[in-house]
Amino acid sequence: MADYENKVHNIYFTANFNPTQMVRLFGTVTFNKAQGALQEVLMPDPEARLEGDLEDQDFDFENAPSYSDLDYKLLKFSLGVEYKLTPTVTLTADGDYADLTDNEGYIYGIESGSYFMIRTGVKLDL
Amino acid sequence: MTRLIKILSLGLVLLLGAGLAFAGDDNGLTEKYTLWIGGHYTDFNDYAKKAGEYNLGNDEFLPEFKLNYFSRSDRGIFRLDGHYYDDKNINAEIRTTISDVFKGKFMYRSLIKQASQNLLTEIEAREYFESTGVAGGKMLTHEILDPGADYNTHRQEILGQVSLLLSRKNNVRMIAAHRTILTTGSEQKISSNHCFSCHLTSQTAEVDKRKHQFEAGVDAETGKFDIGYRFGYRYFEPEATDASTYYDPAKHPLSGGAAAEFSSRVIYHDSTMAFSTYPTTEKTSHKVRVKGDVGKGRFSGAAGYSRAENKNTSLTTDAWSGSLNYTVPLNPKTRLVAKFAATRLSADDPFIDLPTWRDGATDGNEYNFDYTRYSALDRRTGKLTAELITRLNKKMTLSVLAGYDRVERYDYPLPDDGTETSKLIGQAKLRIRKGLKYSSTVKYRFESISDPYVSARGMFEESGHDVLTPLVPTSTWIFYFQREDLRYQDITTQPTQVHQFEWRSNYRPNNKVVVNLGVKGKYDKNGDLDSLDVEHFSLAPNLNFNLIPDQRWALTAGYAYNYDKSRLPVTVALFDG
Repeated sequence: MADYENKVHNIYFTANFNPTQMVRLFGTVTFNKAQGALQEVLMPDPEARLEGDLEDQDFDFENAPSYSDLDYKLLKFSLGVEYKLTPTVTLTADGDYADLTDNEGYIYGIESGSYFMIRTGVKLDL
Repeated sequence: MTRLIKILSLGLVLLLGAGLAFAGDDNGLTEKYTLWIGGHYTDFNDYAKKAGEYNLGNDEFLPEFKLNYFSRSDRGIFRLDGHYYDDKNINAEIRTTISDVFKGKFMYRSLIKQASQNLLTEIEAREYFESTGVAGGKMLTHEILDPGADYNTHRQEILGQVSLLLSRKNNVRMIAAHRTILTTGSEQKISSNHCFSCHLTSQTAEVDKRKHQFEAGVDAETGKFDIGYRFGYRYFEPEATDASTYYDPAKHPLSGGAAAEFSSRVIYHDSTMAFSTYPTTEKTSHKVRVKGDVGKGRFSGAAGYSRAENKNTSLTTDAWSGSLNYTVPLNPKTRLVAKFAATRLSADDPFIDLPTWRDGATDGNEYNFDYTRYSALDRRTGKLTAELITRLNKKMTLSVLAGYDRVERYDYPLPDDGTETSKLIGQAKLRIRKGLKYSSTVKYRFESISDPYVSARGMFEESGHDVLTPLVPTSTWIFYFQREDLRYQDITTQPTQVHQFEWRSNYRPNNKVVVNLGVKGKYDKNGDLDSLDVEHFSLAPNLNFNLIPDQRWALTAGYAYNYDKSRLPVTVALFDG
């Protein structure tokens, strides 16, 4: 028997700010931390149950729990601004950033990486 | 692709035509357009497939645009929303309503999803003799034929829905809907060789899956009752070429000999064969619904039948279902909600025709392993709940629920010798409300389950096999599958007792602040297993703030935590050639 534990934390903050009628600022920050781990594996003692010569058998399960450890951190930022040039024309700019830290790796290997996106444009309200 | 373009074009033409038809009538016409034109630049560092799971994964600049159009007239509403992010991420939706006669919706949704590669690094073990320090010949290995492969799938969904009023008398309305889902790209497929050359092989396989769903029906109001009928059809077919792999010649894993002996135990070897294939499937369904008033209460009921077929094997599954809900006020402050649902599922039992073991052996040492595989899907289920909801006073509402579920798997583990699972449910919920300022809900639910689903094959194996009887009269051999008779201890992770607790609250001291606080907890265990101690525990508190200090600011912040702990049996795979 063994215990498997999962712990997931999620923190988020979003803000919308309109300092003037022409400008809007917005942003989001999220942080996610997820951990999963198998605790000590309690196996029955096979040498006490089986008959015959077991000198070549290795029933050491000491490292078994570490195989399934998971430890991810994901930090995401999003920021944007809109500026109204005229009642019908608005300039926009925003960006996203995501940074994933994989401290353990699993069947896919270490998956740490980051993503960055910046976007600009013009909006027409007709 | 041509078919996709035709479907997209037809849907667009029909709904744009409908939109233009009433847009041409300028009685009270209001229109609003929003067009956004721009572009975005994406940049990835290190491993891109997780952080940028739904992106193309390229460092590049791409054009992007959005279009929103809304119009309203005396005759109806027309709405168009579209967003082009890149050539794989597109959303478009058109909705049209013309008075109460016609409603139409057309939607196209496209997205890409990156997939990582299973490195198979855990598939690596070799026999080792500790006393002599020598590695043995029995081993488990893996092979990646496509290291660093870039797997991703592109999913496109096209949906069209129309609803048309056929007659104002009895409000007879026809509905029809069609959905197509196309999935293309590449994926990882892993083939497993026979035990005599125990290794896994990974390769890239093409993905091209097509699913079509069609639904049509009619609804009507007949004065006292509302009735409806739905016909459903679903067809799934894989268009990609099947992945294939080479299966090694059957022979002894160490000496390479005894080929005839080993090959007589397998259906195929020393050949290239398709593996991990998707079946072509078809499903048809019929459903009738009725609702209306009976006595002081209101009821709704449904009955359905569906048949699903695997077109590759001609195996079918039949399902019958029925449900009945009844709500009745017992007094001005109390009402009763009763629900009943039942299903019956019946699947074909295929005959497994295997080659004769040691076919033609002159010593009579041959055996026929053919058998009929009875389906664990075969079952009857029934669910019954009764909930009493009463308003205790102006601030508090109490509901008490009792329920009973039953599942009869009549062909598992043996035909006509199945298992029956029963579940008793008790639940109480109290809701407190103080105007718009404060509300809180507390809920507790208890379930007691007898004979939850267990694997009929057991888990642990008794020492020795001298109690087993050889299948073949002229041989003393015991086959691996016969050792199942040595196994004991039913294995399951399903509980016999479940306790659930939930608390939700909402506090709004003024129009500028809203606070939500809550927690969910669950504990379950199985106390009916001899030597296993299965239990689960989870706890999930959450806190959320919404703050609007003035007209310029809007802030939201929150925290959620989820804790899960499971105590489960763990097995270690052993191999011995």
